[in-house]
Amino acid sequence: MLRFGKPAIRAAAMLILAALLSGCWDTKDINHRVLPVVMGLSKVDGNYNMFLQIPEPTSDDSKMRIVSDSGETVSDIVDKISMNLESQIDLLHLKVLLIDRKYAEEGINDSITSFIRAQDISPKTMVVICDEPLDRFFDAMSKPDNQESTTLVHFFEKNAGWNPQVAQTRIWQMFRSIHSYTNDTMVPIIRSDDSTVIQSRGSAIIRNGRMVDRITPDDTLMINIFNGHSAQGKIEVMDHANVEIVSNAISHKSRVAGNQTFLECHVRLKVTILETKGEPSVAQVKWELEDLLRKRSEALLAKLQKRKADIVAFGQHFRTKIPRDQLAKWRTDYFPYTDINLQFQVIVQNEGNLKMRKH
Amino acid sequence: MLLDRYIPPPLKEDSDFFIRKTRLSQLSVNIIGYTSLIDLPRTLELLHKQAESGTVADLNAEAFMESFGKPVKAPDESTIMTTVTRGDILLYFSEHDAFISVTPVPKVLTRSIEAPTTENVLRGAISSLVEDIETNIGMIKKHAATQQLRVKSYSIGDREGKRLSLLYREDKLDLALLRAITGKIESRLDWDVKNLQQLSDMLGFSRWSFVTRFNSTELPQEAERGLSQGKAILLLDRMPFALVVPSLLWDLFAVDNDHNFPVLLMYLVRLLRIVGVLTNMIVPGLYVALVSVNPDVLRIELALSIARSRVDVPYPAIVETLLLLIILELILEASIRLPKSIGPTLTMVGGIILGQAVVSAKLVSNLLIIILAATTISSSTVVGFQNSISIRVFKYLILLLSAFYGVLGLLSGLVIICAYLASITSFGIPYLHFYKPKGDSRG
Amino acid sequence: MDKTLQTVSLYLLSHMGLIFFLYPTDIIESVNIGHWLPILTGFAIHLAVIAMYMKGMSYFPRMDLVDGLRTAGNAVAIVLLLPVAAYLVMICVITIRAYSEVVTIVFLSSTPLWAIMALLLSISTYVAMLGIEAIFRTALLLFVLFIPLTVFILSYAFQNVDWLYALPVMDTHTATFAFVQERSFLLSLFAFSGGFLFLGFVQPHFRYKSRSILWSSLILLPLFLLSVYLPVLTFGQNTAEKFQFPFIMTVDTISIDWLMFDRISMFFLLSMITFVILFLATVMWKLIRIIRFKWNAKPAVLIPALSVALFVTCMNIPDWKHVSDLLWWNTFFRIYVMVIIPAATIVIGVRYRKRRV
Repeated sequence: MLRFGKPAIRAAAMLILAALLSGCWDTKDINHRVLPVVMGLSKVDGNYNMFLQIPEPTSDDSKMRIVSDSGETVSDIVDKISMNLESQIDLLHLKVLLIDRKYAEEGINDSITSFIRAQDISPKTMVVICDEPLDRFFDAMSKPDNQESTTLVHFFEKNAGWNPQVAQTRIWQMFRSIHSYTNDTMVPIIRSDDSTVIQSRGSAIIRNGRMVDRITPDDTLMINIFNGHSAQGKIEVMDHANVEIVSNAISHKSRVAGNQTFLECHVRLKVTILETKGEPSVAQVKWELEDLLRKRSEALLAKLQKRKADIVAFGQHFRTKIPRDQLAKWRTDYFPYTDINLQFQVIVQNEGNLKMRKH
Repeated sequence: MLLDRYIPPPLKEDSDFFIRKTRLSQLSVNIIGYTSLIDLPRTLELLHKQAESGTVADLNAEAFMESFGKPVKAPDESTIMTTVTRGDILLYFSEHDAFISVTPVPKVLTRSIEAPTTENVLRGAISSLVEDIETNIGMIKKHAATQQLRVKSYSIGDREGKRLSLLYREDKLDLALLRAITGKIESRLDWDVKNLQQLSDMLGFSRWSFVTRFNSTELPQEAERGLSQGKAILLLDRMPFALVVPSLLWDLFAVDNDHNFPVLLMYLVRLLRIVGVLTNMIVPGLYVALVSVNPDVLRIELALSIARSRVDVPYPAIVETLLLLIILELILEASIRLPKSIGPTLTMVGGIILGQAVVSAKLVSNLLIIILAATTISSSTVVGFQNSISIRVFKYLILLLSAFYGVLGLLSGLVIICAYLASITSFGIPYLHFYKPKGDSRG
Repeated sequence: MDKTLQTVSLYLLSHMGLIFFLYPTDIIESVNIGHWLPILTGFAIHLAVIAMYMKGMSYFPRMDLVDGLRTAGNAVAIVLLLPVAAYLVMICVITIRAYSEVVTIVFLSSTPLWAIMALLLSISTYVAMLGIEAIFRTALLLFVLFIPLTVFILSYAFQNVDWLYALPVMDTHTATFAFVQERSFLLSLFAFSGGFLFLGFVQPHFRYKSRSILWSSLILLPLFLLSVYLPVLTFGQNTAEKFQFPFIMTVDTISIDWLMFDRISMFFLLSMITFVILFLATVMWKLIRIIRFKWNAKPAVLIPALSVALFVTCMNIPDWKHVSDLLWWNTFFRIYVMVIIPAATIVIGVRYRKRRV
């Protein structure tokens, strides 16, 4: 057996050595780092414009400031800003990436790819599209009464301000949609608002990293239903009632005949009734809701098929049916021509505290 | 005078030393000894009673003298000196020119059996060991009432005799372990052993260990637990502790009193102690790692509030933490030194320093106070004060590594500590074992 | 002394350290569909190799590999052991270099590479110097400390999976076993071949039940599967193959709302790094054992000397490309260690037994 005389002395010596050797590089304490939470990015004539929203730790109240600069590449701008600030910029805490709508329409592949490549931005960062010029948006954000530094962050967080009418997409999901054959994604669109700071304006349909169309908040909820993220979503049924979704379940059946693809999609929603106008019966609400959902989703799917953007990931169900080299053409050759048959089944779980007519 | 020949000159100068003349039966006797060690009136009374029961007339002089004690053959200065120093008295029968060494009624120099002072007992026997080795052996025997208990006593030391007793259970203790321990002791009987460092040297343990190799306990009950687990117990005279060898990692978390609680609660309490030890070692390092090297691990809200509380702190997190940790260690050390009546003052002053004041003076951040409070509290959950010191030391290793390497340093510090603990063996028994009686070991 | 538990934990830990970093990359590269086939193939090879190896070693009671091979003569032993030593040295270099690169890429971008290599090396040197028994006990302690954390994070990693990405289960290309000749598949054997040699080095110190090792390797199988399938299920094959370290990316996408930490992936990956440190310590210990076969020096001198040499070598590797080249050249030694050594132990072992009877 190997024996070792005085481990403690050796360990101590090693420790001192380590201390001497490794005291030489600089680690910066948290209060000497600038931790931006929101980055705004736009592109004008091949030049990037960047806005950073930085919470200021100086006083008792949380304040924030907004810095901006422009340059050839993203890291170039970060360096520039970092040079001009008193502390070093640390992008690891970036929570929201706000992209100018025009830039999104051009395609943001390069930015997303470089964010994923460089480890200094978390792949969990939310991607959001801004429906007004970024400078105007950040002006509104920096008004004295909007000084809560994490407003925008909380707006999208599942345990805080998020609700199913808002899309929720992270950088890694964007990256996946760029490379995946069958998975596109949607990105929330916002603009500033006088009363609530932020106003949700529906979602953008992103196809291969490029914004191709936009949908309303109601449509966003529909897509969240298809993706199974719809709990607590609220739907207004015609003029009669308002319901809240408690849970939903979806099952798919896919079939291929020749070049034609068929998809049967069965959605089961459990809802509870929040509000009624007049005296509708439970059956009536149920029937109207099913009808409404079917109409809405058919219109939505038609739009998606026209844009060749599969943000509901229907293509996933054909992975076993279509060979891989063919699946690469899913978006162009199959999805737009897929025969989609939607069925909705609504279960009214309860009617709240008041009784309702059954029929 | 004949007696004068025998008495060493230093004793004559000693004012504690006495020579008292008296008569026992018909013989004149000089009693010599130390006043401070002997209850003289009661000793005299006893001697006289003894003399009445068998007079010189009944017996011959030889037998009469031996009825008091052991005759000293070939008395010289050094034997007289040792006998007297041991606390015995010598009877000098001048007619016969003979010394008899007698065990007198001693002065009570040992406190009575009391509740333990360094270990608290919630449920279980409360009496604790005392300085007197005989009492201690007796108390342990009371707890371990078995025929298998064996006691080996040694008188160690070159010039000054000190008693060392080894207790073990014959049916539990591994024979190899017993041989190793007795071999070490017997080969070094002439060593002077006054403290545990010397005892540790005597047993051949490395001097540079961060972990104590004997688990010392004040409670006879704990000693008994050690015995029944197949460990040996060392008792040193004038040391109110039982030293349990070998000490194992698990002893940090388990005490025998736990068994007086329901089983589930016992495991929960032990789990709590483990959590305490881990918290104490990890938390300061984690703070430094997260604040200065890997702030990205923190949630943004937490990161911002830490940054806010550190805004005006002029030095890096490692300095800040070390500063406050050292103050804390000072308080701990000082509260041991101070008399009980002044102790509360210290607590108060310490409370002020470590409270809001140091934060408002912008010397450290708010969060650090919380971290350090948690650290200090958790350092005391471990069983045995000597163990809590080891853990307090390990904390600094992790702290330093975290300052350089962040979370990586933290975890590698844990690896180093694990490896260190794993490398410790005493008498061939690894520190990490759950030791089972007689060779059956797992770990 | 029977130390099955400790042997099993060292066996598991040293493999876990190797699985989660380079292995998924190679497997995802080797096939497009049906990743379970290459994983199972590799695993079956692994099982066969350790079974053979342990069978072979059982012919040499209370002897380690070096002494066992020596029964066939010194020359044979040297010829057989020389490539093993070369293999172990390469493994050390590759592991240290690759893992410190991973650490700088993922966690400590401002810390210089040499500092991380120095940390990894000095700790494993320290552990190796404490001897094999201490390594074993450390393994057990680390197992108890870190496994709960690892299991917790692994169970959360399922957060973003889309099970449909596992389909189709098989295609004609994968079913032909064409991947066996692929460079990336051969590279992936790194995760299987690294840790098993120590099983033949510990017998003079204590016994273990080879049956338990085989059973415990079944715990590794789900880990191998998870390490590949979690990235594939989260990102899909097309995206996952773009990543340098797909598994790290996958744990980076986990978000746990109720925890005070944002990037818990760091704890997971760094505890894997500690397993790697332990693995390195075992490799260094084995290497020293082989070196001492011919050249009897004190380990307390030999191990630091070895680690200094390793450090210098690692410093001289300029970039990641050289690391992957080294990894590729190592493949030949790897196949040697996986085929020749177990076979040799069996052949020599059978002869040894016959001679004794």
